Amino acid sequence: MMAPPGISGELPVATAGIIAAINLNSSLRRSWRSLELWPNKPGTADRIVDEEQYRVQFYGDVTALDRLVALEYRISSEALKSADICLIAARIASTVHRFSEATNYIRNAEALGASDVLCEQLALSIDQAIGRNLDNVLALRQRIARTNQSIQNLVSLGALLADLGEFDDADRAYRKAIQNYRDVSPFALAGVCFRLGLLWGETAFPRQSDQAAHWYTRAISYFPNYSHARVHLAELHLSAGRLDEAQALLDPIAASNDPEVAWRLAEIHSAKDDAEAATRHLEAARIAFNDAIHRHELAFADHGAEFYLSAGSDFARARNLASINLANRPTLRAFELAYAAAKACEDENYCARLRSEAEANWKHIKAYRTSVFGSGGT
Amino acid sequence: MSDHVDGPRTAADPSVDLTDLYAFTSPSDQTRTVLIANVFPFAGDAALFSNVVNYDLVIRPAVVTGIGNAASFKAQDPEIRFSFQFDVLNANVEDQQQAGICRLPDGRTLTVAVGNESGSITPDGRFRIFAGLRSDPFYIGWAPGEGLKSLPNLLEEDNVLSIVVEFETASVLNVTGTTLFGVIAETTPQAVLSRQLIPPPPRFDWIGRPEQTNFRLNGIAGATDLRDLWNQETPFEVSIDLIPIFKDRLIQSLKLWDMRDGKADWDLSALAASANVFLDDFLLFDPTKPISDTSHLEIEKSTIGGRPYETGGGRTLNANAIDILVTWLVNRDTGPFLQSVTEATKPGRATFPYVESPNVIPIDVTRSIDLPVTADVAWETVGQFGGQWLPMVAHIAVAGEGIGQIREIRTVDGKIIVERLTGLDDGLRTLSYELVSGIPANRYFGTLQVTPKAQGCEVTWSVSYRPDGQGYMVVNAIVSRLIVNGMESLRARFGTKQ
Repeated sequence: MMAPPGISGELPVATAGIIAAINLNSSLRRSWRSLELWPNKPGTADRIVDEEQYRVQFYGDVTALDRLVALEYRISSEALKSADICLIAARIASTVHRFSEATNYIRNAEALGASDVLCEQLALSIDQAIGRNLDNVLALRQRIARTNQSIQNLVSLGALLADLGEFDDADRAYRKAIQNYRDVSPFALAGVCFRLGLLWGETAFPRQSDQAAHWYTRAISYFPNYSHARVHLAELHLSAGRLDEAQALLDPIAASNDPEVAWRLAEIHSAKDDAEAATRHLEAARIAFNDAIHRHELAFADHGAEFYLSAGSDFARARNLASINLANRPTLRAFELAYAAAKACEDENYCARLRSEAEANWKHIKAYRTSVFGSGGT
Repeated sequence: MSDHVDGPRTAADPSVDLTDLYAFTSPSDQTRTVLIANVFPFAGDAALFSNVVNYDLVIRPAVVTGIGNAASFKAQDPEIRFSFQFDVLNANVEDQQQAGICRLPDGRTLTVAVGNESGSITPDGRFRIFAGLRSDPFYIGWAPGEGLKSLPNLLEEDNVLSIVVEFETASVLNVTGTTLFGVIAETTPQAVLSRQLIPPPPRFDWIGRPEQTNFRLNGIAGATDLRDLWNQETPFEVSIDLIPIFKDRLIQSLKLWDMRDGKADWDLSALAASANVFLDDFLLFDPTKPISDTSHLEIEKSTIGGRPYETGGGRTLNANAIDILVTWLVNRDTGPFLQSVTEATKPGRATFPYVESPNVIPIDVTRSIDLPVTADVAWETVGQFGGQWLPMVAHIAVAGEGIGQIREIRTVDGKIIVERLTGLDDGLRTLSYELVSGIPANRYFGTLQVTPKAQGCEVTWSVSYRPDGQGYMVVNAIVSRLIVNGMESLRARFGTKQ
């Protein structure tokens, strides 16, 4: 596997994506059935959470979130008695962006004697996700990464650095994660390659589409079923007018329940002047987003808002979702999304309020300067 | 759990995670040695080996270099290695079988189709190999972190990927010289790409004796987790620089184990001797002596005890390795320290490939029908264990009375199905039975229940089973047809509810 620009040496070898996919999905089926038949067997619920999180991350599988929430419901009565179960519930709540509930579960886990390390890890992830105490989070992430340069620790650090606008540092953390990787799971490598694609394709300023495309391509080569990587790479092709390439990425996963797949296919077909196909896919996207938001509003509020701001053409709905997202996780990105929705609704008062709050909360970070509120904004 | 999930790193890569290693002489041919390495804990039904990993079994001659409190074993040359590699699948081909090769110690290679129970055998018969999904033969009913509370088998119904090597002992091990051997299994990266900036680790995991990482090197509250560090060590040659760290940890751990029953059975010198022996972490076996379900660790124990060993040591599939180990660690074999679990879900068998077929998740089939008659009326028909109301039944013969009675069903197409009554409750209107023979399934349990409703009643027929020897589709077709035809016959007999 040839290295993308800026990284010397071959990328690490990993188990073929097709094998990893078969192993993951067959393990997941078995884990669920094991839980049904032998509910008291330790470790099964933990494995299910791991495996369903892979389904969410790499397949964009909305039903994985349904199953996780069902598991949380199933175990919630035990959550008051067991630290392990509290932690499992915290992981699930965090996955569906119910961060305050996740935090409560963590507190319960601590009270029941859960490992400090595990509780701290989860709490740190939540703080990072909602943009709370990021100075402290950064210091801890840096300390953790100095002590243990695992791919997980370096990716978490890289993601935070990207959010803070330290794009070159984020890039370095991600590349180090790849270079340090000493295992064979393709999931970990595909994930960090995708992060690098996001960094240079959507987060960093100025955008570097070629580099982003390289990394999305690497992510897909590690795990061909990687839905989000295909969608984002397809977006790059679409922007560049490479419609056939864009469609070729998404047609194989058209049956996915990831709403973004239908959304982007609608845009591709629209660009190809195939009104019938565009309408069909757009309707499918609308149904899929409605459905996902209905079931997991907090998890889909941001992507839902983006959809309704563009192809979904419902600015009022976008504004509502963006507000929900902002209230749940007041990151700079959430402010930008809420601002875009308010602008689309021509609500200048709300825009002004958002600008003021964003400035108060985020002016101190580098990413603010290149955000819509900084020198790059209008 | 033996070596299952034995470190934070291996937890992310189940296909490289070794779970167990076994070494014994074949019960069906004592002139042949069997080595089994299991990998991929909690493997799913379609689990595959990684295509970028070497799965190796490595044997070295061993000598006793000290006895009593100076007990030690040293591995020597030459190395005898079996190395398996597996192919990637073609995404465009359905239902393909993973293939692999084994590089034999004599330089030959032998191909293997993953899951083919016959395995592959060299033309001269010296070597026979198997690779595929099997029932996990390991069993453990202790959770060490819970004060050694006894639990049901934590690995009940689980599967692993097994690699089995059987070979002609005399010609491969050359037992005219030393008769004692040490064996390990390891998972290592395949050939390093020369342009990789940082080379991959030397290995992902390895195993000698069971529970080296999870029981002996772990489990001390607040202590640094040394398992990943240990897993990077070279088997047979642990780094001299790191030996003090590992030895210190082993001694701390062994002290804790000793006191689990509240009394000290080990003096410090013997504990240190035990730690030294465990530092030389390879599974010792002597194929010229009897290897049985109770001989595991006998070589080590005898040597530490200052006497010649009497058995072939090793580890059979059915050895209660946990009880043998825990009894030794906790009270130095002065009295049994037993878990309640005494065998695996499917104990090992005496013939190749020795590890049993994988555990199949039960399949449940349930059908219900509403009938326009009272529950009592429907029960008069359905509740008769010998009742001939099924359309495919030509004849039923019932033997015995009450619970346990047997019915032999002769079907219209000439098949014979035998079932045993396991439950009958006229009050609740439920009838339960289990299959004895006649359908290619095991753990086959059926229940018929009649439930009164506001108008009429509902009859529910449920069957839970596991296919045995036939594909899921074949057995499911048989069972579904049985139930559907049965329900249709009730509808024909009693009419349809309006």
